[in-house]
Amino acid sequence: MFFTKRRIGGLLLLAFCVTYGLLSQQIPLLPIQARSAFNAKTMPEVLSVLGIALSLAIVFLPAPGEYLELKGKAWGMTIAFLVLMSFYGLTIRPLGFVLSSSILLGVGYWILGERKWWLLLITSVPVATAFWALMSLGLGVFIEPLPWFLRG
Amino acid sequence: MLEGILIGLGTALNPYNLVFVVVGCFVGTFIGMLPGLGPMSAIALMIPIAAGLDPAAGIILMAAVYYGAIFGGSTSSILINAPGVASTVATSFDGYPMAKQGKAGKALAIAAYSSFSGGVIGAILLLIAAPFLAQVSLAFHSTDYFALMVLGLTAVAAFAGQGNVLKAMLMTVVGLMLSTVGTDQTQGVQRFTLGMIDLLDGVSFLLLVMATFALSEALMAILKPKGDADRLKEKEASSNLGSMKIEKEEVKEMAPVIGRSSIMGFIIGVLPGAGATIASFLAYGTEQRLAGPEKGKLFGKGSVRGLSAPETANNAAATGSFVPLLTLGIPGSGTTAIMLGALIGYGIQPGPRLYLDQPAVFWSVIVSMWIGNIVLLVLNLPLIPYIAKILAIPSRFLLPLILFFSLIGVYFVSFNTFDIQLMIIFAVAAVALRLLDFPLAPMILGFILGGMMEDNLRRALLINDNSWSFLWERELTLTILAIAALTLFVPMLLPLYQRWRKNADRAGEGG
Repeated sequence: MFFTKRRIGGLLLLAFCVTYGLLSQQIPLLPIQARSAFNAKTMPEVLSVLGIALSLAIVFLPAPGEYLELKGKAWGMTIAFLVLMSFYGLTIRPLGFVLSSSILLGVGYWILGERKWWLLLITSVPVATAFWALMSLGLGVFIEPLPWFLRG
Repeated sequence: MLEGILIGLGTALNPYNLVFVVVGCFVGTFIGMLPGLGPMSAIALMIPIAAGLDPAAGIILMAAVYYGAIFGGSTSSILINAPGVASTVATSFDGYPMAKQGKAGKALAIAAYSSFSGGVIGAILLLIAAPFLAQVSLAFHSTDYFALMVLGLTAVAAFAGQGNVLKAMLMTVVGLMLSTVGTDQTQGVQRFTLGMIDLLDGVSFLLLVMATFALSEALMAILKPKGDADRLKEKEASSNLGSMKIEKEEVKEMAPVIGRSSIMGFIIGVLPGAGATIASFLAYGTEQRLAGPEKGKLFGKGSVRGLSAPETANNAAATGSFVPLLTLGIPGSGTTAIMLGALIGYGIQPGPRLYLDQPAVFWSVIVSMWIGNIVLLVLNLPLIPYIAKILAIPSRFLLPLILFFSLIGVYFVSFNTFDIQLMIIFAVAAVALRLLDFPLAPMILGFILGGMMEDNLRRALLINDNSWSFLWERELTLTILAIAALTLFVPMLLPLYQRWRKNADRAGEGG
């Protein structure tokens, strides 16, 4: 079979390098900048050629027969964590640091199998609050702790 | 010089200043452990306190915070694979695998002893050779710096074992590509920003390293749930987590590594702009090559040498970076730039006359480095068994905590929620690349060196009237580039040569 781990990786990175190469052609340069021996485009162009050459070599040179195994992995749980982290990014400002961080931690523990509510609470809310206190009160790095509806 | 050392000893051993060394080391270690807060943030946080002290005490406090934070950064690298600063990335290559094998205490102890040795040897070298090395560092031009970055990139060979040379090289190129995202510093042109304001400043190192190391590691642990056999093995291993026992053989193995890495780290640290990161990568790459085929294979899997070399080198380099600061008034890094600001704030102008005009400040900083390193060791060794126990926390609690600290480590620096989403994208890409067995460390190496390499190359070309002749006309540049070529190609060509010789011998015997 052609599609070994190495070749799939090579193809993905080839796509990345080709996209990078195409985008490098869109770097806007003034005529005076374009005339200098080394301008903002030089390094990206060299890198895209190198990247494409190396990924092609990886794809077409003989590769060990190691194949990607997708079965037996906790895809659902991993996707749930990605959604949770993205949700954290969206809510850290409106919900404030303490509430959004407590949700991230509590739901995270729950996804990984912890079902005792009291344990979920005491391992999330105090951690988020303590960390906020350390950063804001201890080190002077302020972040809004409260949700928008409780702010003065 | 002896008189100077005595002045320094008198000032640094003054109980009042000694308290600042202890407090600085403790606070620095603690802040350094928090992902996202490196030595620079730690020192910046100390400025208001230091401003109220006399100059010697203020600078001693800041220096103590500096090396405390470097040591603290190693702790999060080793325990949760979250290097908060570039100089501790190489520490995680072998420190984290060692911790995963249930030897977290031992890994932290090796890091502590290596940091201590690197710092102390660095301070001795600083004492002996500071004025001379300052002149050497001035002799380095942009062309030499460019060559030095290329030499730094050859450390990639350390990750190129078992036929992975092409993969490692490609990942380095990907790292270099990522370093070009953002506004071009010289020409002010936007590159690969896709029209997004959030990408104008480029991708931050912290974001990339946290996403590809800490986040992807935690996501891989979630993706590959452990079986009962794995759990049992882990439980057995974790019973020994806090043990700091280092075998006699391992001490023998570490000693020459520490010697070499200290000197290399210090010399690279002296060069403004090169610093602890290149020193740690180069020391790692050098030791991997010197270890020979058998021990070299252990690199990346919890090698004692692989952990000791970068830890020694980054501390020696941190000490070395004080040479241009104190003797020339040139800050070699962001951290020493803040210290320069503090010195000027005290009305002290660092430069060749510093040790004549302000001997108490000059020598007490140097002497306090020895004392600080001893304090660091004494403070941290008893704490190691307790710090190592972090890994005994059940994974259903530890993994969300690692994700939380990685995300806020980045958020607390930029206060930009876009960074959290970008981190997730990088983490997904990193998980995919890990599943496909592509090494991520070369990408980080390329990313760190990419910006500096491009800047120095561009400057070199400007100075040389757009001519590339400096590559072969300037002796120092040519020598460094030749060493880089040798270090990269000799290990690749050696097996081919050995195979050719074997065949030739066989043919000779046959004939």
